[in-house]
Amino acid sequence: MSAMLLNKEKWPEFIGKLTGKNLWAPKLEGEAMRFAPVAEDEVPELTDGNTRIPPKNIVFPQTETMYRFQLGDFEMKEPELKEEMILLGIRPCDARAMVIVDKLFSWDVDDPYYLKRRELVTLVGLACSEPGLNCFCTSLGGGPASTEGLDLLMVDLGDSYLLETITPKGEALVSEVSELLIEADTEKIKMKKKMVSESEGKIKRSVDHKGIPEGLPGLWEDPLWKSVSASCLGCGTCTYLCPTCHCFDIQDETEGFEARRCRMWDSCMFEEYTLHTSGHNPRPTRRERTRNRINHKYNYYVDKFDVIACVGCGRCINLCPVNIDIVEILRQVKEAL
Amino acid sequence: MTAENPYIPYTATVEETWYETGGDRCIKTFKVVFDDEDVRTNWNHRPGQCAMIGILGVGESMISISCSPTEGEFLRFSVMKMGKVTQALHQLEPGDKMMVRGPYGNSFPVDDWHGKQILTVGGGVGQAPLRPVVEYVKANRDKYAGLTMIYGARTSGDLCFKGEFEEMSKSDGLSCHLTIDVEEEGWGHNVGFVPQMLLDLNPSPEDTIVITCGPPIMIRFVLENLKKLGFADEQIYTTLENRMKCGIGKCGRCNAGGMYVCKDGPVFSYAVLKDIPEAFA
Amino acid sequence: MDLEQLRKTAAEVVVREDVKYLIGWKQGSYGYRVAPVFVEDASGAAELLFSPLCTANLATYLTLVEKTPLPRGQEADKRKVALLVKGCDSRAVTQLIVEHGINRDQVIVVGCPCPGVVDTEKLAEKYPEQGKPAEVEWNGENFVLLCDDKETELPRDQFLAEKCRLCRHPNPVISDITVGEPVEPWTLADDNGVEEIEGKNLEERQAYWEEQFSKCIRCYSCRNVCPLCYCQDCILDRLNPTWVNRAVNFSENTAFNIARAFHLAGRCIECGECERVCPANIPLGKLNRKMAREVRDKYGFEPGVDPEAEPFQASFKPDDPEDFIL
Repeated sequence: MSAMLLNKEKWPEFIGKLTGKNLWAPKLEGEAMRFAPVAEDEVPELTDGNTRIPPKNIVFPQTETMYRFQLGDFEMKEPELKEEMILLGIRPCDARAMVIVDKLFSWDVDDPYYLKRRELVTLVGLACSEPGLNCFCTSLGGGPASTEGLDLLMVDLGDSYLLETITPKGEALVSEVSELLIEADTEKIKMKKKMVSESEGKIKRSVDHKGIPEGLPGLWEDPLWKSVSASCLGCGTCTYLCPTCHCFDIQDETEGFEARRCRMWDSCMFEEYTLHTSGHNPRPTRRERTRNRINHKYNYYVDKFDVIACVGCGRCINLCPVNIDIVEILRQVKEAL
Repeated sequence: MTAENPYIPYTATVEETWYETGGDRCIKTFKVVFDDEDVRTNWNHRPGQCAMIGILGVGESMISISCSPTEGEFLRFSVMKMGKVTQALHQLEPGDKMMVRGPYGNSFPVDDWHGKQILTVGGGVGQAPLRPVVEYVKANRDKYAGLTMIYGARTSGDLCFKGEFEEMSKSDGLSCHLTIDVEEEGWGHNVGFVPQMLLDLNPSPEDTIVITCGPPIMIRFVLENLKKLGFADEQIYTTLENRMKCGIGKCGRCNAGGMYVCKDGPVFSYAVLKDIPEAFA
Repeated sequence: MDLEQLRKTAAEVVVREDVKYLIGWKQGSYGYRVAPVFVEDASGAAELLFSPLCTANLATYLTLVEKTPLPRGQEADKRKVALLVKGCDSRAVTQLIVEHGINRDQVIVVGCPCPGVVDTEKLAEKYPEQGKPAEVEWNGENFVLLCDDKETELPRDQFLAEKCRLCRHPNPVISDITVGEPVEPWTLADDNGVEEIEGKNLEERQAYWEEQFSKCIRCYSCRNVCPLCYCQDCILDRLNPTWVNRAVNFSENTAFNIARAFHLAGRCIECGECERVCPANIPLGKLNRKMAREVRDKYGFEPGVDPEAEPFQASFKPDDPEDFIL
């Protein structure tokens, strides 16, 4: 690991060196921020606050063409995924989410689409100096400057960015812009530490998950599931905006004789998700579906992959139309244990 | 893309088709053979496994492979006409192409059951995953103490694989007990529900493995009655079904509790199943 | 608003034997959030709230209850549901009655005359949300924000939600019990949002909606929150045949959003919930209000105001205008 310094005066130049390389950065669209490609002459400003739409669609697009074919023919053409990309300004929680989801897409059988996209992307993280109101990453093993999953971490030190390389991919990127960088002195490292600890102090929400993964099975029939899900609308906001939610549907779509098989995000909060063709639904109400969402994140995933499938980014809380709050649900779960 | 993409199906040709049952939700059986010789020889499924079968441009469905590998280098699927994909599959006739990928899931541990008496308890289309076990035991007759089959359906017209039972009831050590819900003219077998039939037969739990598959309500009462007969949880096996999309433990559709039915199932012993919270949902 | 009176009334309603529960609002878990609450007993009524933060239209819950098969021998719970409504929410209830989506005698409408709610996004922009839930109250013409023992006056013209500027029915149009005094309807603002789009030419409109619909992530929150989107078998879900593909792109998203707008023409009661919940900030209100305006101007029909009305899309008069039909 090496630590370099980029003076903010050189930011446009830094960006200029990367824009030719399929650079993506957070962009405000209306009032909602999401990752978008950076145009040639554009210089993105990295602002406080995380994107509303998580960057999971970079490695797990909402709609992914699996293969194309002609109706009546049996030749299946897979997409060529080969363009490398740089994701600039991804937050540590979202990078950590990718590490968590990697486990699913690589257990037993490799998922070629996801893993290829993961291989092609370089993650340039930005440490959080102003955590959001509903951030609780520190409760789940992350933090405002956690490097898990990142190739390079940038820390905003006011008039400069501290760049910490974490992986060979990160080093490769730094070497391409090396003439813009200077070695960071210990003073700057100290500044970073101070900033990180201040940032941690600003995180107000927390989840005490000790005992929850083991305890959830015992709460299967607990009345809390009914009460926490009573107001749920059954929409997909919480799961679609969750950086670790990864469930998908597969559908064939045709236009004339051109056809493709594609997969798209799906949500366990939808009634149709588990509905059998016979009309039977093993999760018939929002109670069962909410229980599944929490269990999947805090119990099943832990059982299978030894990690909680929640990074504490707070998006599901920020955007639930009816204020269903996972921190509050987990508090009730803890209480019921 | 990587050379091996698990989502890409193989093409197979439908060799023979026939209807097992009639009605709106009729069951049609397809005997299919892979077009590629390497695929044909390398394909290796075990009794109880499933495959994703489908048609390009329509979609895929997870269907039990209803033949035993001992029967030859072909596959059989017995498909009930239900939704979009199965309706389209029902249009296929000999010579048509079907897409197949798999085999998926675990299987009945038939080779761990050598020397044992096998009892299958099936209802309706639930006989499809049991049939490979029956065929496997028949092909390896000397390795098993014997096989008893209980199979029931609403009416005689709803029974699958009808032609195959006569020969079975004649051979030594294999017995077949058929039942339908309501008496019909000319029906020479039992009348009554499958769980009751099981009680009446009163099989000994000693050195016996039971496999049951059928409608959830039947399974529930069969399990109850098996307990009455003194069967231990470890002696009882069944299969689960859920909606599936990928077949390889990624899409998240099929989880029952923490289990992916497509990977950790579809075969579960009751000893495992009873602790899976959503297993009987 | 006299909260004591509201809570007392609610408590009296929920203890009735023929009432299953009362749906109301309670303080949310942080910031300016307010959460729907299902009150089942008198003590639960103490949590109830009615304030300028109560934007959610609770009429949605009348049709959102899943009907699971009853265990043998068990009878369906036929008790009534009580519901707190603002003016706009009451229009949803009325429209549901008109469409036979609900039975009039299955609901007890507790009407709360509403002087208008705040635009919480605008509020959060000016006064960022805190972890601790804040309170907002009506104060004469304006609103007042109570946070950390501080009172901040919020000018009405600055913070009133857009849907309220265009509200014709601040008093519930249907109500079994009314809590609070009727409010004086106010002068309607111009619908600048709709007019702005009407002022665009075809290409500009196309470009505008292309940009908007491209953002859609198809989370279905607009559909699910809508009190009048309650089809058991929604055309947007159907796969056999598939009317709208699951793929998320401009073309399918447009089909999705336009299908919804047309299905709501003459039915949308302009509560603005779709726009409020959209995580991609698509201005769905403009789309639905444009449809509502067409229906109003051409047919003189306003949905959700008269429980005896004939459903707009199911009625025909020989002199209906048809000059717009090509």
